[in-house]
Amino acid sequence: MRPENYQAISHPPSNEYELNFGPNHPGIEGNYALKVKLHGDVVVAARADGGYLHRGFEKLMEGRLWIQNIALVPRICVPDPVPMEVCYSMAVEALTDMEVPERAQWLRVLQLELSRIAAHLFTFGGHAATTGMYTTMYWGVADRDQVLDLFEEWTGGRVYHIYNIPGGVRRDMPAGFLDRVSRTMDYIESRLPDYDNLFFTNQVFVDRARDTGPMNQQQALEWGVTGPNLRATGLAFDVRRDDPYLVYDQIDFDIPTEAPGDAWARTLVRRQELKQSIHIVRQVVEKLPSVGGPVRTQIPNPLAWNVPAGETYTRVESSKGELGYYVVSDGGDKPHRVHVRGPSSMHAVQVLEQLAVGARLEDVAQIMFSLDACPPEVDR
Amino acid sequence: MKEIDNPIEAPVDQSRTNPLARVFDELVRFCRSRSMFMLHYCTGCGAIELPPAMTSRFDMERLGIQPMVTPRQADILLITGYVSIKTLKRVILTYEQMGSPKYVIGICSCTVNGGMYWQSYATAKQLDQYLPVDLYIAGCMPRPEAVLEGMRKLMDRIRSGEADGWKDYYRRYDWYLGNQQHLFGDDWQTPADVIGEASHYDLAEPGTEGEHTRLLQQCQKPLEPQQTFFQIGGSLEKKGESHE
Ligand code: SF4
Repeated sequence: MRPENYQAISHPPSNEYELNFGPNHPGIEGNYALKVKLHGDVVVAARADGGYLHRGFEKLMEGRLWIQNIALVPRICVPDPVPMEVCYSMAVEALTDMEVPERAQWLRVLQLELSRIAAHLFTFGGHAATTGMYTTMYWGVADRDQVLDLFEEWTGGRVYHIYNIPGGVRRDMPAGFLDRVSRTMDYIESRLPDYDNLFFTNQVFVDRARDTGPMNQQQALEWGVTGPNLRATGLAFDVRRDDPYLVYDQIDFDIPTEAPGDAWARTLVRRQELKQSIHIVRQVVEKLPSVGGPVRTQIPNPLAWNVPAGETYTRVESSKGELGYYVVSDGGDKPHRVHVRGPSSMHAVQVLEQLAVGARLEDVAQIMFSLDACPPEVDR
Repeated sequence: MKEIDNPIEAPVDQSRTNPLARVFDELVRFCRSRSMFMLHYCTGCGAIELPPAMTSRFDMERLGIQPMVTPRQADILLITGYVSIKTLKRVILTYEQMGSPKYVIGICSCTVNGGMYWQSYATAKQLDQYLPVDLYIAGCMPRPEAVLEGMRKLMDRIRSGEADGWKDYYRRYDWYLGNQQHLFGDDWQTPADVIGEASHYDLAEPGTEGEHTRLLQQCQKPLEPQQTFFQIGGSLEKKGESHE
């Protein structure tokens, strides 16, 4: 910096000052910024400053063929890409009135739940790191890698799989794969008590996360919060149960809730969901061998595939909350309009701005991680 | 925009004729290559493979590579994926704050040619037009092993003296600045005094200054305290000109 610019760093005229929190900050989840106005170290006002990850997905999708978009959508939310593929495929299937073979539906459920496990393990890691417990992060990421290994064997990709396509899934699973899924589930389940000891019952975490960023049920509903963040306020709403898609109505699972709605409750809900997801995966592993048949309905030549005109909205439960695709077709080979209803835009913009007020500066990162917003999906 | 040609320089510094000095240079380069502090600025989706590379499974630290959180402490800038134009400004700001010598790794296909988003209006397609990139790790997205392998490659290149993108930035600053101005507008500026640094490192060459740096000097206004983002009285309206 040039010397004449030094004086540009002015002293704040009062106790109130503004601070840029992010985009390059270890306490921020990804490339995202929050402008905070502080009094001492208490946040008086906060304003999200997104756009760093903007790529214009919805516009890009209008310029690509229906099938090409499958490669594009998982990039919208990197830690949890499968719901994007599934939801988009479901929208195209709804427009074309296409039947998905039953085996493909079970395979999709397996994919979705494995993806949820991976995403939740990753989130704990980030949240733990904001409270200084880096071991949890190291463990979480390493255990998530076990799930990614499964994906890699199954689909060839660790993070982006491009596996769910309109009409079903690309191919069946490799031989002996279900055994490896069970083994991995056993492993992850055996790790859960370790996580409890290390992180969830850790006094440091409990003290820091309790009463941090509390949100009550009324507020949550007004702000459009969904997913684990809503369930942490005591409302058991889950798209998987309340608007079942795929074969979720044949699967038995609980919807964990917590009442307080603070950072602690939100993380705890995810911890319990992990257990439920393992439970669901086990059921799929049990039932899948008896569900035979094809895994894909033949689609027309994808390079000249004109989807009938119409519009549709499909939704799935992603690890962050309700994810929806509103797709309009004008009968052409490309979507006319696509809108993604992502859960994170509510969480990271409206909710974060409100919850950060009154928190101390060091807790802002925790609030952000406990909301588990996914910045690329906010910016899209 | 006029482009300035600059062939990549031979790594050996011809002015250092004393053999002892060369040995010393080699030693310095070796040490530099073994202490790589990287700034992990998650610019894009490629960043998701960095945590596995850094944590217990692949463990980058065993190679002596450590994540750092501030640019002042870091030697390597990882650009992990596409950079949107808004991010690119911050990336350049970050790069210019890092102390020399500094190295840039472009991870992901998106940094090479725009990758998936070649069509997008919001992303910068070719990173090396705006920053000197020492090494690209292509792939969508590169696996942790690829990231590690890239790091080792960079180590080799630092040791052999090939990784001198930072010198290139000083030598051809006018060209880089021109590209930046093309994207961000003529009044683009950062607080860093690159020309001063270039002469400090004895790297000021004809390409350092030119029409674009003159434009910079004309448009440069002293940095002022940022306009307040919040209005007094609670309403969260942004006042005045957007800083973006
Ligand atoms: S190359 Fe692929 S993974 Fe990397 S930033 Fe681009 S889209 Fe994302």
